[in-house]
Amino acid sequence: MLAQVLVSSITAGAVYALIALGFVLIHKGTGVVHFGYGDQVTFGAYLVLIAQVIVGLPFWLSVLAAVLLSVLLGGVIYGGFMWPLRNASLLARIIASLALGTVLREFSRAYMGPNAWPFPFLLSPTAVSIGGILVVPANLAIVGVSLGILGVLFLLFEKTIYGKAIMAACDNRIGASLVGVRVSSVFLAVWVLASVLATFAGILVAPLLTLSPDMGLIGIKGFTAAVLGGFNSLLGAVIGGITLGILEALAGTYISSALKDMISYSILIVVILVRPQGLLGGLTIRKV
Amino acid sequence: MIPRLAISAIAVAAFFAAPYFLAEYHLFQICLISVTALVVLGLVVVTGLAGQISLAQSAFVALGGYGSAILTASWGVPLWATIPATAFFVALAGFVLGQLTLRISGHYLALATMAFTAIVQLALIHSDPVTGGASGMPVPPFRIFGRTLASGGELYYVVLPTTVFLFLLVRNLTHSRFGRALAAIRQSETAAEAMGIDVLRYKAVAFAASGFLGAIGGGLLASLSTYLDPAQYGITQSVYFLAIAVVGGMSSSFGAVLGSAVFVLLPNFLQSFQSYLGLVFALLLLGFIVLRPEGLASLRLLRNALVPAAKSPRASR
Repeated sequence: MLAQVLVSSITAGAVYALIALGFVLIHKGTGVVHFGYGDQVTFGAYLVLIAQVIVGLPFWLSVLAAVLLSVLLGGVIYGGFMWPLRNASLLARIIASLALGTVLREFSRAYMGPNAWPFPFLLSPTAVSIGGILVVPANLAIVGVSLGILGVLFLLFEKTIYGKAIMAACDNRIGASLVGVRVSSVFLAVWVLASVLATFAGILVAPLLTLSPDMGLIGIKGFTAAVLGGFNSLLGAVIGGITLGILEALAGTYISSALKDMISYSILIVVILVRPQGLLGGLTIRKV
Repeated sequence: MIPRLAISAIAVAAFFAAPYFLAEYHLFQICLISVTALVVLGLVVVTGLAGQISLAQSAFVALGGYGSAILTASWGVPLWATIPATAFFVALAGFVLGQLTLRISGHYLALATMAFTAIVQLALIHSDPVTGGASGMPVPPFRIFGRTLASGGELYYVVLPTTVFLFLLVRNLTHSRFGRALAAIRQSETAAEAMGIDVLRYKAVAFAASGFLGAIGGGLLASLSTYLDPAQYGITQSVYFLAIAVVGGMSSSFGAVLGSAVFVLLPNFLQSFQSYLGLVFALLLLGFIVLRPEGLASLRLLRNALVPAAKSPRASR
């Protein structure tokens, strides 16, 4: 029983981890916390759906089209909103990212209707029994992809000069441009990357949750995972996501399934209050 | 002094004359604008003035609406008494939530208040015996002086004076020691602290004020709509209130009224595009925050028309 609960909870955890990775990527790379990221994930899945249902492309081509469109979306978000607001107050940037998410969500609602859509699995959703524990290949894929993306991003940030450039640009715009980093292209690249990641996450997550305009509310779980792991740590995002998934499943099984979500939001508040740097994050010192 | 008296006299006359000239539907719309403006005034205090981002406003509205309706439904205390009483307790809750700002600000504050809203909404949904759960609960009728105010046209006599009173209160508070202290905190907490302002207490009081205004608005909104549906009090609704504040002008109490008027009246003009309404609101928010973050209230034309004080030499620098 416990083993089955744990195995199933890891899937939910991987979903949170995948979204948290996007948050951390944007925050680590550009210093912005993107409050509309959950909606962007949903929008990614809707892009596939639009290409498939409205345009009539086959599934694989729709995925490709959605990825290309999300590259464009990342560019528009950076060029149209984040670049003009680079010197605006933190408050304005927070509200702008909330607004971006709301625009994407309301577009999906207006264009595709408020109801849920069926979304195809990439892999088989039938459970396979391994040693008495039921495992679903489609769910395993999410875990695998999350770990894979973690690996790629980790290599990018820690082992390549591009990662160093991203960190430098985020840390000190003027300093980075003085040593020859083209700051605007770096930020553009991060937004495009995060946008593509959002679309992949949407495609993987949509069949598990139901794809409706309000699926973006999953974003708050991704936030919780990111905060739990430390907002600047990629590894922390994955560990935070899996931890959250397990905590939720345990709370849902042994306390009350109705209280499951309330418990994870309470975790968010408690972690923010008690350990704002998260499990793996370093302390940032605020200077006057 | 005389022009101000004259303006007040005209306002009072217009208030009593309006029900004879306007249709029931228009009075209802006026009530809706007033109530929304009350809720948004709370955001003007906490976010516009004190600079603390809050996504808790719809939770305060929910607590105000549910609290007063439940007290009236189970104990028979009239709504005119339970709405302010509930608002007092919601203000206390706001004060406690404001204590969070000791440790957190910016992104984390947005997240924590977001989580607060989600928790309140889930608590309402899962407390079936008291709140009616996911299907919601009816609001008992608003009785005062032995009369039952059932329609927007009748509630008008309660809603509008309450809004005007609280609006003037907030307006005066902004120009008081309290308002200046909050503005100082917004600009630099460190500098404000160095000047001897008890930063945490002021921020917590700002949250309490936003809770109070939100709860009064919530209680009146519940009476107007006669039904409480928990789906209406989520994070999305908090963003909606924030959008009204931004479009109207975050740092101006007039902005709250302007923004509310735009958001309440706009659906009338977009009748044939009902399904695009949410998108239009979202685009308005995005457009204003990028192009004109000070909102409608900062447009010179509107400023001069609405605020005669803006013409004074002090404001013209």
